[in-house]
This record gives sequence, C-alpha cells and structure tokens, in this order.
Amino acid sequence: MVTEDALRMLKPKTQPQRFQAAKDFLYGLTGYQFVRHAQEMKHEAESLFFIATMGDLVGIPVLPPIHALRLLPYFAPEIARWKRQLARSREFWEKEEYDLHGV
Amino acid sequence: MNALIAVVLGAVTVYLTYTRYARRIDRNVIQSDPKRATPATLYMDGVDFMPTNRNILFGYHFKSIAAAGPIVGAIVAATLWGWLPAMIWLIGGVAFMGWVSDYSAIVMSVRNEGHSLSAVAHRLISPRTRTILFLFIFFYLLLVAGAFVGIMATVMESQPRTHLGMILLVVMGLLLGQMLYRWHVGLIPATVITVGITLIAIMTGHASEGFFSSINEAFNALTGGTPLVTYFDPTLANFKGAEAKIMPSLLFWAVAISLFCYAGSVLPIWRMAQPVVYVGFWITALAMLLGLSGAAIGTITKPEVAQFQIPMFKGWSPEMGPAGVMPLWPMLFVTIACGAISGWHALFGSVGTARQIENEADMLPVGAGSMLAEFLLGMLALLAISVGSKGSPVAAFANGLGGFISVWGFPLDYAVSLAFAAFIVIVLVVTQLLFRVMRVTLTEWLGDMIPPLRNQHFASFVSIALAILLVMTGTWIYLWQLFGAANQLMAALSLLLVTIWLVSVGKNWVYAGIPMILMYVTTVASVLVTAYNLYFNVYLPNLAAGRMIPTVGSGLMVLVAILLVFAAVFIGIDGFRAFFKYLGKPAPSASRAAAKG
Repeated sequence: MVTEDALRMLKPKTQPQRFQAAKDFLYGLTGYQFVRHAQEMKHEAESLFFIATMGDLVGIPVLPPIHALRLLPYFAPEIARWKRQLARSREFWEKEEYDLHGV
Repeated sequence: MNALIAVVLGAVTVYLTYTRYARRIDRNVIQSDPKRATPATLYMDGVDFMPTNRNILFGYHFKSIAAAGPIVGAIVAATLWGWLPAMIWLIGGVAFMGWVSDYSAIVMSVRNEGHSLSAVAHRLISPRTRTILFLFIFFYLLLVAGAFVGIMATVMESQPRTHLGMILLVVMGLLLGQMLYRWHVGLIPATVITVGITLIAIMTGHASEGFFSSINEAFNALTGGTPLVTYFDPTLANFKGAEAKIMPSLLFWAVAISLFCYAGSVLPIWRMAQPVVYVGFWITALAMLLGLSGAAIGTITKPEVAQFQIPMFKGWSPEMGPAGVMPLWPMLFVTIACGAISGWHALFGSVGTARQIENEADMLPVGAGSMLAEFLLGMLALLAISVGSKGSPVAAFANGLGGFISVWGFPLDYAVSLAFAAFIVIVLVVTQLLFRVMRVTLTEWLGDMIPPLRNQHFASFVSIALAILLVMTGTWIYLWQLFGAANQLMAALSLLLVTIWLVSVGKNWVYAGIPMILMYVTTVASVLVTAYNLYFNVYLPNLAAGRMIPTVGSGLMVLVAILLVFAAVFIGIDGFRAFFKYLGKPAPSASRAAAKG
C-alpha cells in the first residue's frame, strides 16, 4: 500500500489532471448541489412508483398490477437501494417537509 | 503591519498545519486506509450515501460550512480587543483545534457507519446525552438565527444602498430555480443571467439609495418619527451605553427578512432556498476573491488601502462602562468562532459530508482542507476591518473590503456596494436555512408532546417569533457572543465525542482531548460571563424602567444561557464517565468492530 501511494505521488501530474481537480472543485462548489437534488427528486418519484407497483415487497398491501412482472427486470437492480432508502425515511409521503437536503 | 504580510502569514499557517500536523495525525493516529470500505460505498442509495470524488466533495463541504461566522466574528473581535489577539486566535485556533474538530467528526462518522453525532453519543455515552444534545442544538440555532436577523435588519435599515440588490437576489433566486428545474435551462446560461442581473443591481445600489431612504422615511412618518420601542443598550455609543430606538423602518425590514426566511423554510428546497443560496454564493465568492487578491497586490500598487488602521491591542479587559466585563479570556475565543473552530462544521460534516466520502484517504483533504480554507475567509475579514476604520464595525468591514476590490480598477462606490452586499448576502442565505433546520429540530424535539408543532408552518412561525423576540432586546453583541459560545461549545462536545470514540477503539486521544478540555472550559466560562452581563446590564435596567419587550427578550437570553450551561455540564459528566469506562476497557467487540470498520 505504501509503495502504491509513493508511486502515485512520484508520478508527474499532467496538465489536464491538474485542471480536472480545479474543475471538480468548482463543480462541487456550484453545480453538484443541483445534481444531488435532482437525483433526490428522481428517487422520490421512483419510490412512489415502486410503492404503487411493488409495494408488497416492503409489506405495503398493494395488489401488484399485471404489468409489475414485466417491469421486474427493470426494477431488480434498484430494489436493494430502494429498500435501504425506505428504511431510513420517516414516512415516505412527508419527505420534503422533514428532509434538510444536506443543509 | 500591512495586508500582504497577513496574507502570507495565512498561507504559511495553512501549509504548515496541513503538511506538518494534520497529515501526521491522519497517518499515525487515525491510520486512514484507502482500501477500507466507507459507508458511502457500503450503503449507497444514490441520495444520502453517495461515493463522491474528493475534489467535488471539498468544494461542496467548503460551500456548506463557509457562512457569516468568520466574517462577523472577526469584525466584532477586532473592534473589541484589536487586530493582534484576533489574528493570533485565528491562526492558533485553526492550527490546533479547528481542523481537528472538522476532520475528526468526519472520521468518527465514517468509522461508525455514517452515524450522526447524536447517534454516536447515544451509543457511546448514554441515551440521555442524545436528548440533551437535541435541546442544545435547538437553542444554539435560535441564538444564531436571532444574531443574524438582528444584524441584517440593522444593516438594511441603515444602508438603503443594499436594498435593490437584496430584492433582486430573491427574485433571481426564484427565477434560477424555475429555469433549472422546470424550464431545464443549462446551469451556465442560467448562472450568467441571474448572477449577472443581481450583480448589476448590487453594484449600482448607491443610485437607488435616495428612493429606498424615502421609503424608510415614509414608514417612520407613520408614527410621526416616534420609535416603536425604546430600551437601554449598554453596548451603544462605543460601550458608553445609550437609549436605543426601534423605528418602524427597522421593524419593517425585520418582518421582510422574516417573511423571506419563512418562505425559505416551508417552500420546497429547489423552489427558493437552494437557488437563492447559489446566487448569493457567487456574489460573496466574487467579492472575497477580488478582495483577497486585492489585499495581496494592493500593498504594492495602492498602499493606502492596505495599511492597518485600527489599534493592534486594546487591552486584556477593555473598559466597557455599563456594558459590563469583556475579558479577552474567555470572550475572544467565542467571539471568533467559525474561522478558528466551529461546532456547525462538525454537525454538518458528520451527517452531510461523511456519507459521501468515497475513500478514507479523502477524509483529510475534505475535512481539514475545507476548515483551512474557511480560516482564510476569516483572515480576509480581519484584514478588511483592520484597514477600513470608518463607521460602525460592519461599515468598516465594507469600506475595507471595498478598498481592496477597488485595487482592480472598480470605482470605490461600486466596490463598497459590492462589499456591503457580500456581507448581507452571506448572512441572509444562511438565515433562511437556519430556520429550516430549526423547524425540523423543533418538530423532532417537541412534535410528539405538542402536536401542532408537527405542522411546518406553525413550527416555522414559532421559530421566527422567538428569534424576533431576541432581536428586540437590541443588545446584539451579547447575542452574538452567546451564539459564539453555543457554537464553540458544540465543537467542544463534538471533540468530547471524538475523544471518547478514540479511547473506545484504543487509539491515542490526546490530539482531540486537549483542545476539547480547553474549549469546554473556555466556552462554559464565556456563557457565564455573557449571562452575567445580560442580567446586570440589560435585564435589570430595562426591568427597572418597566420596558416589557427588552426585559422579556433579555430574560429569555439569560434563561437560554443557563440552559446551555446545564446541558453542557450534563453531557460533560456523562462524557467523562464514558471516557474513564473505555479508558481501561475498550468498547464491546460488536461496536468496536463497527467503529473500526
């Protein structure tokens, strides 16, 4: 590990890499918050859709519509993330009021 | 002394602290391991837990912690004790305590599955500590909000040149939200339009001064020039004490600011709070960037704007007349908070930033790096007040910063307008966020016992009403110091938690433990001094004169001060018990494993 670190430090940085760090920093200062919030809004909308279609997976008594099975392959990669997100929320319908959005 | 030497001193402090001390602690004590999984990678949900590039996170964290604290604190401290003690505390504070607090809070959260400070307190100390911490945080936020609304209303009433810029800031913030989230305009064109228009409005603010002065006069004419409230303020007239008057125009601006904060608190965050903060960020960043570079080169090209004007040292306990006692220890150490050490950073870092750390090697550049950048902001504020000696502390700051900006060829009037706006903007945008946090904290704390507090409108109203009551006491400097003490006490409590955690996992705790003891003793002493000043110099004189509003307001401040001391003592006792419990016997294996990751 030490050797890897040392090698990385010794390796001369090229100009584009240096500019990349500055660009990332500027992005963190400015646009990143909007991207994060857009993701939050997307996940919120997705979460409601998941509940309406796959609510039985988390114990909400909804009758899965006929389309649910056809949507399952698209849902599958997101299910674990969705469950973790739900487990941490107070109530899925009052997110906006109680979420500080990283404030 | 001139500005260039101070800028060099600041840069050297940052370099030495980071390379000679912080890195060593990171390597030898914390032993950050880039191969160890962080909560962001373990629990990624795309919302709270999200692995993020270190440079992006550095920018994000810095923007989140950089608020009005380093600016206002430096202004007040330099006015009270001179520039030298303020500079020594800024340098010493950040080098031995500030970065320790910010960095360690992030480390502790990362090694404890992304848990917040209160959750770690609940696990390592006791459930009672978590509840007390909640109460503490609410009153802490109340003090910040009161201090910020107070200073904003005063500056806006006395500086009509700032009004046009502030109104346009809000309008442009709303427009930006609409453009980004509804019209899907790109960030760059939306920024150019909204920030550009706001900047023009701010820099031409002096042209609209006459119009807004006439509005203030019209409001004051409603009562025939009679003040709404009169009270005795011992901090006025250069601490000789004087009768202060709350005119209708001041109340108008306080109510206008409150309405803005209310909207920021209850509207969806994308609609108002977030875009207004973004536009405000550009205004402040631009002023600070132009100011800092202007301070450095102004020493050579325009020496008259870069020479220190205020006294170097005004004494260990300057004569305050009826304002009571203001000893350098402990009061300096709470008057300057954020540029040296701050509890807010630890609170935010443990929840907002720690959950986005992609790699343990990023904890140091993000946590310590952002704090050191914040220190530079504090240094700039100190420079600005030190060179601009004209007018009230805020006016002196604006004149000083305006002088630095004018080095770049801007007419002085325009530069001073920008400097004034930079100050108000940073306070304004932080205040609306504070009320949002206060509302949520109030609901979490008392919502079950008092169901109406679960309503966001009612909770916001209660929070704003309490803050306005504090503002009405008029003794703004005490309010600021009480806030500073609460903020520093928060930092001490976070360091206490870090110390206990370090002991519980068998690591060397000294680097966090010594700053914790120093800050704990200092801040508790400062709260007691402020409570003494408030009781004898504000509460009793106003009570004797039968003035209800300032009596209730100052009484509330004394009560809050006592509550803070009690909360700190309880947490301290529980914390020290936990410390000695873990000193001989590390934490249970399950928690230890979790803590160690």
